[in-house]
Amino acid sequence: MSSEENLQETDTEARFEFKKEQHSAFQSEKGLTEETIRLISEDKDEPDWMLERRLRALKQYKKMPMPTDWPGQPDLSELDVEEIVPYIRPDVETRGGAENWEDLPDEIQDTFEKLGIPEAEREALSGVGAQYESEVVYQNMQERWEEKGVVFCNMDEAVQEHEELVKQHFMTKCVPASDNKFAALHGAVWSGGSFVYIPEDVTVEMPVQAYFRMNSEGMGQFEHTLIIAEEGSEVHYIEGCSAPKYGTHNLHSGGVEVFVKEDAHVQYSTVQNWSKNTFNLNTKRAIVEENGTMEWVSGSMGSKATMLYPCSILKGRGATDNHITIAFAGEGQDIDTGAKVYHNAPDTKSTIESKSISKDGGRTNYRGLVHIADGAEDSSTSVECDALMFDNESTSDTMPYMEINESKVDVAHEATVGKIGDEDVFYLQSRGLDDDDAKQMIVAGFIEPITEELPIEYAVELNRLIELEMEGSLG
Amino acid sequence: MSGATRFHAGIDVETVERIAEERNEPKWLRAKRLDALEALSDLDYPDVIQTPGRTWTNLADLDFEALVEPFDQTEEKDWVADDQATVVPFHEALNDADLEALVKEHFGSVVDPEENRLTALSTALFTTGTVIYVPSNVDAEDVKIRTTMNGTSLFNYTLVVTDQNASVTILERQDTGADAATEERYYSGIVEAAVGENAYVQYGSLQDFDQSTYNYTLKRGVTDTYATLNWIEGNIGSQLTKTGVSTLLEGESSETKIVGAFFGHEDQHFDLDSKVWHRAEHTTADLVTRGVIDDEARSVYEGVQDVGRDAWDTSSYQRENTLMLSDESEADASPKLIINNHDTEASHSATVGQIDQEDLFYMEGRAIPEQAAKNMLVEGFFVPVLEEVEVDELREDLEERIHERLH
Repeated sequence: MSSEENLQETDTEARFEFKKEQHSAFQSEKGLTEETIRLISEDKDEPDWMLERRLRALKQYKKMPMPTDWPGQPDLSELDVEEIVPYIRPDVETRGGAENWEDLPDEIQDTFEKLGIPEAEREALSGVGAQYESEVVYQNMQERWEEKGVVFCNMDEAVQEHEELVKQHFMTKCVPASDNKFAALHGAVWSGGSFVYIPEDVTVEMPVQAYFRMNSEGMGQFEHTLIIAEEGSEVHYIEGCSAPKYGTHNLHSGGVEVFVKEDAHVQYSTVQNWSKNTFNLNTKRAIVEENGTMEWVSGSMGSKATMLYPCSILKGRGATDNHITIAFAGEGQDIDTGAKVYHNAPDTKSTIESKSISKDGGRTNYRGLVHIADGAEDSSTSVECDALMFDNESTSDTMPYMEINESKVDVAHEATVGKIGDEDVFYLQSRGLDDDDAKQMIVAGFIEPITEELPIEYAVELNRLIELEMEGSLG
Repeated sequence: MSGATRFHAGIDVETVERIAEERNEPKWLRAKRLDALEALSDLDYPDVIQTPGRTWTNLADLDFEALVEPFDQTEEKDWVADDQATVVPFHEALNDADLEALVKEHFGSVVDPEENRLTALSTALFTTGTVIYVPSNVDAEDVKIRTTMNGTSLFNYTLVVTDQNASVTILERQDTGADAATEERYYSGIVEAAVGENAYVQYGSLQDFDQSTYNYTLKRGVTDTYATLNWIEGNIGSQLTKTGVSTLLEGESSETKIVGAFFGHEDQHFDLDSKVWHRAEHTTADLVTRGVIDDEARSVYEGVQDVGRDAWDTSSYQRENTLMLSDESEADASPKLIINNHDTEASHSATVGQIDQEDLFYMEGRAIPEQAAKNMLVEGFFVPVLEEVEVDELREDLEERIHERLH
């Protein structure tokens, strides 16, 4: 059976919704104190400079106000960071991740089996990392890439093994802790995540994947991803996220930093399916050098509230950014997502394509900023936002911001909002499809520009998730 | 400016009482002025867009109150209208019992005097204005109002009320008197329009103050069933302009157009917003703004199309295009869609760019000198907006001002 068929046949809902008993080796107290931070750092046996960065971030976090004054922003009043457990180390002996799934405790192995990760690894991936609660439990990379000097390890291990690189790049130039309140929180309590290093002129042909799973109730996951793509290199990094739903709130506040050097090409794809009690507040940013290309592909399906605006800073002449985002908000969900691009050099180019679907009272918002600096001559940007609304309880907003300080540019923004066309549905029904199938097919067509950017496993996954969201609720 | 300290009459109860007393105003109006005055210090400046590290228009740092001379509000006003429509100076309207009732009914009903600090200031201190009333079934000729500002500050209030099936085209022009001193001055204007069932109003405005004027205006209209309200907003003058033009589509099947044209140069700063709220079924809105900025001028555009939960079968469109003629200029734009009803067809687009090089090349190929070709292209750029203007005089004035600015 091909992996595609396998994925199609698996009951997607059951795959994400199962819960595991919590077995942990170390669990921090709820809330945030200097003591908690010191304990986390000590448990990880970190160098002093990292502890100092954490403590400085904590101070910044305490000083900064909660973001409440953005027009139309998701309601964060139910999020009580003091009630979130910031750090849970699962009971795994091999710190830094096992290299064989068999070495993992049965329950964790079972979790990832159900999520289809080892299957995908065999079929289509260059390397896989899997994070359970706060720590990476599995990490493996095909030997042929390791031989070429490619590094794919968990972030905690990188702090020990690649200390200089990490010290230089970790929350310094790209996402400083002072960037926003949740970046500061992330800087204080981060744990796990991936470190990816691609040497000059190496092309990693198959994607590298990390999967993040939150299993415990009321926890926070704060993984940090640092990708350094040296000159002329190429890599596609995929992250997947899921968690079972609990009554209390979970918080996911990841940090992603990508360094795209001259002529390098990085694609960062995310399929986010956090449970609907999760606040998903991330900071993702790339710095792109001369003729480099950064591509952000994001599918936001899950979470109670998402605030995520992947950012590219086009620093070198001729740098390119592509954003493709899809947001699907169902009942009780507020998906506020978009893109930020800073054109800081001449001949830079960005394209942003956003598709959103809202139904059953869900809200989607495209919030985006394009800034063209003075001197960024011959730069161009084009933004396209399309929104589809299913019913009258839902909301679809579009809030782009354009700041143009240079005249020799080409700036275009377009947005449309509409309902599913009755004529389209009628046409498909006349071809023998029922109403549900017709609408699903229209939605699948609507998001196709996004799915075709993803490896087949993910595209199938995304389509399955959307079908699941739409099942039985159409009429 | 001489070193002498200027005397500012206080913005206080005494001043407001004196303004009302001198004009023999009715009690209700005096009370509204005093309420606005009292609210003043608790109110914020009009909303401006902020992005990380940047405020698109910094109003809070401008000391508007320091520019205000409540007793130096001199202006010349001309009114041209036929006798079918009632067009009278604001305080004359208060002397007529029927008109007073009309003003009392509508004053502050479309624009809340306490909407922000500057509307409250305007309500507390206005000394001049116009009331335009068009009775049922009257198809009025063009109404023209010209306001020439001579003093340090001027607060102007305009009320437009049209009954069923009435129609009127209004052209308002503001400029600065030739003898006015060149010191900084402040103009503030509020326009309220109540458009009756199946009535039609086009309200055109051409702002051409000198470049030491700080200008704040807020124009808002509300439409009844089948009504149409079209705004034309031309901005050429002033040092800094913050202007809002908006329509509340409250009646079923009502329509609005908000058409904007601006041309900024030197260090002018224009902050323009166009907003429409769809609050009933079958409503239509079309927002079109085109602007050119040269030298170090800066433009800020915000457009909002807000479709309410009950606004079934809405059509809403928005286009904004900015042409940058200079590398030192800056254009910020934010067209927003807020959609709460899925039975909506809505779109918006915005572009920023320079003169198309191919167009220029083509014209130079036809032996037109570069500068002349550029000027023609700029004038051509405004055509789609100018075509919307129904009053020939306003269109010609706008064309002339654009032409002057280019030469």
